[in-house]
Amino acid sequence: MTGSPATAFADHAFVRGMPPDHVARLADAAAAVSVPAGHRFFEEGGNATKFWLVTVGHVALDLRKPGQPDLIVETLGGGDVLGLSWLSPPCEWQFGAVAVEATDAFELDGRAVIALCDSRPEFGYQITRRMAAVASRRLHATRIRLLDLYGAPAQGAGAR
Amino acid sequence: MSLQTIPARYRVTSRAVETYDTVTLGLEPVDQPIAPHQPGQFTMLYAFGVGEVPISISGAPAGPGLAQTIRSVGAVTSALCAAGQGQLIGVRGPFGTGWDVAGAAGRDLVVVAGGIGLAPLRGALLAALEARESYRRITLLIGSRTPDDLVFAAELDAWQERGADVRVTVDRAAGGWRGHVGVVTQLIDRVEIDPVATLALVCGPEVMMRFTARALCDRGVAPDSIRLSLERNMRCGTAECGHCQLGPLLLCRDGPVVTYQRAAPLLSIKEL
Repeated sequence: MTGSPATAFADHAFVRGMPPDHVARLADAAAAVSVPAGHRFFEEGGNATKFWLVTVGHVALDLRKPGQPDLIVETLGGGDVLGLSWLSPPCEWQFGAVAVEATDAFELDGRAVIALCDSRPEFGYQITRRMAAVASRRLHATRIRLLDLYGAPAQGAGAR
Repeated sequence: MSLQTIPARYRVTSRAVETYDTVTLGLEPVDQPIAPHQPGQFTMLYAFGVGEVPISISGAPAGPGLAQTIRSVGAVTSALCAAGQGQLIGVRGPFGTGWDVAGAAGRDLVVVAGGIGLAPLRGALLAALEARESYRRITLLIGSRTPDDLVFAAELDAWQERGADVRVTVDRAAGGWRGHVGVVTQLIDRVEIDPVATLALVCGPEVMMRFTARALCDRGVAPDSIRLSLERNMRCGTAECGHCQLGPLLLCRDGPVVTYQRAAPLLSIKEL
């Protein structure tokens, strides 16, 4: 990867601050992709062998329900990581993912990244810490949503 | 007796249904109007024969009329929500502190609303858009339970066209929804924020405001540049009865708008 895509890759929130040699190794497993609105990145239950660093766009994680509209679990955008299931067994997508609008991303070969992690523990530590941070932020956001903050307030509440 | 202690009679001149449980009433004075308000202040609305509740003013400060957005959660708010055109309502106020959006001229405004918390922010936003050239970026981030629970949904496109960067996220949505799904704090990570220049105005459920303020602090915004609208059980509106006490604050007088710097130590204590 050379020129502007390399800069964009190094500037992605997931990569930023990584040692240059780790960035270079990760970049070797990455390819810039642009997809139109409606492009499906993956289906629930499929083999999880890739992940994406979204740079521009809007992607919905969804669940399909027979006879009913798809349920959107969460949406992701520029700076986000799409795909966590590639990192640990059974390496199977838990949700589907579809581009809501035209989306640019770096697509990474999860198997190649795992092989790199296995062969170079310092690199693997960087990747694991960063993926753990992504998972932690998602868990935090999910916990807040579980509080159902916007539900009906208790009677006797104040001005709103 | 002032109109802070005796209700002024106002007539309902319009009634806009925002969601299944929320309406915005347009009110015009029958006799002497209450004093002009600042965005962020509230009034005590009296449903005659039922009771009185504190309600945020959701309109811009223009003329003697008021716009007040009410969610039906109890007997009084149900009676107010059901008020039709021509009905009389008692109004006391305006009470409390405002957002002081005029004092933020030359800065970026980041306005974060959760659910019906958009109502007390609407006046500040309208005032800022009215003087659009006086501000740098104006960003409005809205969190809602579902798309159907959004208040002022019909106005969002117009606010965008007038120069606000409007982004909406919901907790739950079916296919076809083209906005974000997730908590409103996640939107904070996705917008440009100049921490030194930013004044943030935040209103919504208290837990949402805590997490939002923390997320803004994580982006470098100073706690004294984050303003929250707090609520307790306002009764008198004149800082005499003590029902709205939060630690050293009487929120009907010292609030509802307070800085996060002042509010943060009070928000995680079970009893104050």
